[in-house]
Amino acid sequence: MRRNITIVLAGVVMALATVPVVAHHAFSAEFDANRPIHLEGKVVKMEWINPHAWVHLEIADGTVWMVEGGTPNTLLRRGFTKNSLLPGTEIIVDGYQAKDGSDKGNGRDLTFKDGRKLFMGSSGTGAPTDGRDATEPE
Amino acid sequence: MKRFVFVVAVLCLLPVLPAVAQPGDTSAPRTPWGDPDLMGVWDFRSLTPLQRPSALADKAVLTLEEAATYQRERVAALNKDRRTGDGLSTAGDVANAYNEFWWDYGKELTDDRRTSLVVDPTNGRIPDLTAVAADRRADVRDARRRDAWSPVDRGVSERCILGFNAGPPMNPSAYNNNVQIFQAPGYVVLFNEMVHDSRVVPIDGGPHLPAHVRQWRGDSRGHWDGETLVVESTNFTDKTSFSGSGPGLRLVERFTRIEDDTVLYEYTVDDPESFELPWTVAIQMNVSAQPLFEYACHEGNYGMANLMESARAVDRQTAAGGIK
Repeated sequence: MRRNITIVLAGVVMALATVPVVAHHAFSAEFDANRPIHLEGKVVKMEWINPHAWVHLEIADGTVWMVEGGTPNTLLRRGFTKNSLLPGTEIIVDGYQAKDGSDKGNGRDLTFKDGRKLFMGSSGTGAPTDGRDATEPE
Repeated sequence: MKRFVFVVAVLCLLPVLPAVAQPGDTSAPRTPWGDPDLMGVWDFRSLTPLQRPSALADKAVLTLEEAATYQRERVAALNKDRRTGDGLSTAGDVANAYNEFWWDYGKELTDDRRTSLVVDPTNGRIPDLTAVAADRRADVRDARRRDAWSPVDRGVSERCILGFNAGPPMNPSAYNNNVQIFQAPGYVVLFNEMVHDSRVVPIDGGPHLPAHVRQWRGDSRGHWDGETLVVESTNFTDKTSFSGSGPGLRLVERFTRIEDDTVLYEYTVDDPESFELPWTVAIQMNVSAQPLFEYACHEGNYGMANLMESARAVDRQTAAGGIK
């Protein structure tokens, strides 16, 4: 019986996982599933604005891309600040380009060059070393 | 103790509502003018789904072990770092939008381990929509599938008019699940983080606005029922809907401070034109040590311009024969 309910719960969770994501707006109306992008470059600036934060990223050919993220409120609540992603930081973006073909994309995955998740990479902020976390490696 | 009080409070709710308020109980914190004190920042995140998943049928409450399994699996399923290789379609990958760190669903079920936030009907499911409401919902869905001609064609949360979890009524969702309650003699203010909404509720027992005056968040009037703040809202518009509700919605919300650090938030959706039966939800709100953060939605809403530009790009491609 216990095994049965566990199986049911696993099925329930999988079913719930297919429920459409609740976000501020419909990403499928803005970004093109047929245009995956992989960007490597340096942060030019980060806009900590609502409803979505935007990371501006300059890639090797000089193009500056705008990459859409979520609400900064979630990050603020976790202790991040406007200094947590500074210009010059090298990052990698995997996502999808805007349907209008402009240099905009969703920030489906944001990582540092070594593969660590942005904002999640260490016991501290996960941002570049910012002195907030004494245990963070130099 | 907190878990015990919440469990007892909600178990009282399960068969018949209302049953939590204890008239005459003056042990709860009071404002200087003697009203029950609900002031503070309250966090209503929860992994508990609004409706009980059909597969769980009559199982209203999980055991400790089942709850632990559910929470673990649910957190894993909500992890937005999963990619298409893990079984998501590319469209699903786009819909996931961005990394896990932007999301804030919470990590736990309600303290009483319920399988749904809906407590009435007892099957934990929202009653069926009436034919009128089902047709209305289908029309809205069809309209949303079309590329928008103007911002007016998009939903009210995309337009930063209402927050998708700020209500009324409030419901746990993807992020910004916080409300700050202020009180003054004769008034309560419900200030939601999502879209920075404030509802100023007169606690005067006065009448609602005339029926022809319709408002985005309805017209809210409150009164005290013992320790419980009761807020009744009517005068909604036909431009908003909660789970299929219509402009005739009569929403009754109840706020009871059952512990220093816990508010029991209940609401009843009464809309005979839209639902076969009234239905009631119970949500646990936990005190937050953090402030609300600004959510100036309209000011930074690049997304709306991008949506319009993308829609026009699709139009051009369609006209050129690129998209059938």
